[in-house]
Amino acid sequence: MSLLQKFANIGKVIKQNNGIVGTYLKLFRIDAFKWGDLVGEDKYGNKYYQNNYYFYGRNRWVEFPLSVGHDYDASQIPAEWHRWLQYICDEPPSQLPLPKRKWMADHVENLSGTDRCYVPYSTTRPKIEAWVPPKRNS
Amino acid sequence: MATIPVLRLSGSFNRQLSTLFGRQLGTTSAPIQRTHTNKKDDNVLKSTSSALVPYRNQSTDVAPAPEKKPYSPFQGPFSSKAEYALTRLDDLLNWGRKSSMWPMTFGLACCAVEMMHFAGPRYDMDRFGVVFRASPRQSDVLIVAGTLTNKMAPALRKIYDQMPEPRWVISMGSCANGGGYYHYSYAVVRGCDRVIPVDIYVPGCPPTAEALLYGVLQLQKKIKRMSTMQIWYRK
Repeated sequence: MSLLQKFANIGKVIKQNNGIVGTYLKLFRIDAFKWGDLVGEDKYGNKYYQNNYYFYGRNRWVEFPLSVGHDYDASQIPAEWHRWLQYICDEPPSQLPLPKRKWMADHVENLSGTDRCYVPYSTTRPKIEAWVPPKRNS
Repeated sequence: MATIPVLRLSGSFNRQLSTLFGRQLGTTSAPIQRTHTNKKDDNVLKSTSSALVPYRNQSTDVAPAPEKKPYSPFQGPFSSKAEYALTRLDDLLNWGRKSSMWPMTFGLACCAVEMMHFAGPRYDMDRFGVVFRASPRQSDVLIVAGTLTNKMAPALRKIYDQMPEPRWVISMGSCANGGGYYHYSYAVVRGCDRVIPVDIYVPGCPPTAEALLYGVLQLQKKIKRMSTMQIWYRK
């Protein structure tokens, strides 16, 4: 690959990210300086890209929506896209949708640290119980 | 004796809990009380929340996600300009803290091998500014990786005490979380949170390097919410 082609690639990146400012903002937010084809988008607004110019392991990636800001998280990727993103299959769910069974639960992101986090509770009787004084018959 | 009806009136028991506990409710030592009773909020929370105690963080409840989420978790309303300035300083401080966490290596068992993988080139902790520092006096995070035995417990506590504030603890693996496989052994502490306070629990036996990485990212999120300066100002 010649040096000229590399410069052309930089141009492609800048073009895809709407100029130098947009490229910088993307680099600042998700540390990605890449260009690629939009493979699909899920209902949370995550966008999935692929470009086989990058080597295996880096050729598929996700860009999280602006509504999550800097607090994006791998658990925000639903299962069917995780399947594609981790090279379990080659067909993205936008091309080959998986059968939807009635027992399939909706995807939930990791709620740790939010107000909707899981809080454990004790199901056993306490080891110490207060003494209730017997009532005097009067 | 007059206090009993007053207590009963002031706090109503959580309805979900009472159905779970049934008649055992009277014996539970920690009754969950509501601070507010708002019918509208109640329905919203019941439909969205999976937690049994939805009211715990009510005062710090976050608004629904906006179109574009700002970087800072501290978004007004501010009572004064000084408070606004201090939140921005807090952001700066938290950014510095979360992007250079130096963990103290405390490898006790097989989890330490996964911790080494985390340091290796594939998972590459260095890109998050996480660098191992083999001295408690110059580290921020203590990663307890492996079974904590009774014999090692005083050493762990001493190392934790030697670390400067602010310090965080990641408990890595089942053994450090709650004893794990050795829970019933006479020689093992059933979870390192019996000795030191823990911020992040990473499950697994052993957790993959990826899981530990996720734990570190969660800790970064936690550090981002710290409000050191604001608390100092309010004092």
